[in-house]
Amino acid sequence: MKQSNQPDQAVKDGRRVMPFIPPEGVPISFAIASIGSRLGAQILDIIFTTLFLIICALAIVFSGALPSSATMVLIVLLGFLLRVPYYVLSELIWNGRTLGKRITGIRVINADGRRLTPHQVTARNLMKEVEIFTPTALLFSIGSGSPWQDGLTALWLLTVIIVPLANRRRQRIGDIIAGTLVVDNPRSVLLSDLALSAPAAASSQAAFEFLPEHLDIYGKYELQTLEDVLRDTTKNSNTEEIVKIVRTITRRIRYEDAVKPGQEMLFLNEFYRAQREHLESLKLFGKVRENKYHEHTKTEAKKLV
Amino acid sequence: MTDLRIDPRMDSGATLYAGAVPNDLLRSARFRLEREAHWRKLDALVSRAEQGGAATLTYEEVRNLASGYRQAMNSLSVARDISLDRALVAYLESLCARAYLVVYAPQESLGGLISRLLLSGIPQAVRRSALPLFIGFLALILGAAAGYRLYGSDPSWFYTFVPPEMADLRTPDASADYLRSTIYGDERHEGDGLAAFAAYLFSHNTGIAVLVFALGVFVSVPSFILTFYNGLILGAFFAMFAQRGLGYDVFAWLSIHGVTELAAISVACAGGARLGLAVLLPGARTRRDALRHQAHDAVKLAILAALMLVAAAFIEGFLRQLVQDPTWRLAIGWGMGVFWVSWLLLGGREGKVKREPVR
Repeated sequence: MKQSNQPDQAVKDGRRVMPFIPPEGVPISFAIASIGSRLGAQILDIIFTTLFLIICALAIVFSGALPSSATMVLIVLLGFLLRVPYYVLSELIWNGRTLGKRITGIRVINADGRRLTPHQVTARNLMKEVEIFTPTALLFSIGSGSPWQDGLTALWLLTVIIVPLANRRRQRIGDIIAGTLVVDNPRSVLLSDLALSAPAAASSQAAFEFLPEHLDIYGKYELQTLEDVLRDTTKNSNTEEIVKIVRTITRRIRYEDAVKPGQEMLFLNEFYRAQREHLESLKLFGKVRENKYHEHTKTEAKKLV
Repeated sequence: MTDLRIDPRMDSGATLYAGAVPNDLLRSARFRLEREAHWRKLDALVSRAEQGGAATLTYEEVRNLASGYRQAMNSLSVARDISLDRALVAYLESLCARAYLVVYAPQESLGGLISRLLLSGIPQAVRRSALPLFIGFLALILGAAAGYRLYGSDPSWFYTFVPPEMADLRTPDASADYLRSTIYGDERHEGDGLAAFAAYLFSHNTGIAVLVFALGVFVSVPSFILTFYNGLILGAFFAMFAQRGLGYDVFAWLSIHGVTELAAISVACAGGARLGLAVLLPGARTRRDALRHQAHDAVKLAILAALMLVAAAFIEGFLRQLVQDPTWRLAIGWGMGVFWVSWLLLGGREGKVKREPVR
């Protein structure tokens, strides 16, 4: 397993993100699906299969084409087919998605970067019988048996619930055995490039001029925070927050010229462009500035030497 | 530091576009402008493949998809190095992830998969697991023998072993005539009661088989115990009938579906035992790896057990009530047994014979 010896995962926007290395060797990341969406998918799947089973059973019974013994066996058989085989087949056909998973927008992937194999799909869904169906069935019988049985059932349920909560990749036992992960379906939206779309990019070249010492203050983190602010369409030059940001930036980078009222957005766009250009060219030469504390960390390192 | 140009057809579009890109832009913005059209194309292809599967794409489009995917991967790794535009990197990352999922989708057809499993996968897995199968059948046979002996010494053991809903009215207190009537389905018992019982037995047995398989992880002890217990029930049941001189009849009655059904439980136990043996004797591997490795064959054994259970259910539902003659019952039951054994012993061997002359 390649992943296990890496500093495993980050948390981005409150979601767990799993670094993942496809055969091309360029790491990409998937967001681990939340327990809630997985539970939702499971419940939807159970509802669908049960509905289908009921419809089929009614059809068989009311058509009356078969003797009663055969009818019973056929219905029980259907119930059997609509458990594990349904999940295996649908995950095989739709590449790791059952109907419920399609609706909640999650899917199964192979944890080691290859394609999902039929064996993995079968293994993880066979365990579903032990992890979900049997404990749920036992749950209904709780209270009717001896305290011994109840205790055992409770222990079983607890184990099954704790395992996915306790590990970082949210794998249930079947996932661990099969080596699979459940992730959110990635969605991609290409936002416009701020360095291009800035209203002033073409027209006013010299509205604001930034000197290298102005640009040496901030790092990547601040740049991308500014990017988020600029992409927020609810804000314009008159918003108090923007005025405040402009004031903070001019103070911090010791920018002498005053920014005229109404020109704040223009200033921020210009500053974003200049700052990005500066940081990107530094990056090309191997000087990555993560945030505004880069000076600090440099002196720290010197002290250590 | 530019993209490796993999596909010349894609390239021509880029150079056309590049002519229009002004030179005073940021390096990363230029990088993006030059390639954006390709990404959009790939995005459209991926979206279509996500909707209706890769089968809806034409040959040309599939080829573009593969090369576009590699190119996007390249762009991503370059963008990470030269661009601080978070929107761009995030977009490329999700686009690559989506394209990856489409490109690396399972490529086998369902039909091919199933026929390969039936023709070679399962028989080979069975032949590789002689020891676990021995354990599985041993548990059942030992259980049956123990049940028979115990019943012989004290019939009240029957109540200990056999769950009441399974025994129905067939207890040691019942008369021989009544027992005979349950075997040969007289008018009194024909109908819903018996059908419900057959259905109950089937779901009981699938439940047992699944548990026997999955609990094997715990050093295969629970599998062995459950199978042994199943054997106990069988032995006690058989002994009860045998004492009333119905030994031959009940043997035939059990054979018609039991050969398949009990073998299925033993096979499930063998699957569980494989998992248990992996934990117990992992050899040179770590236990986790050994478990993963053994799971391949164990899962095939589980599928086999499921198939046999389904077959047994059909026999039980249709044939047991129809076929009343004990000789026929024996013939059908053991005929099925011969069929299973010959399939498992002979299936999937052709490949080997064909390959040997080449070597």
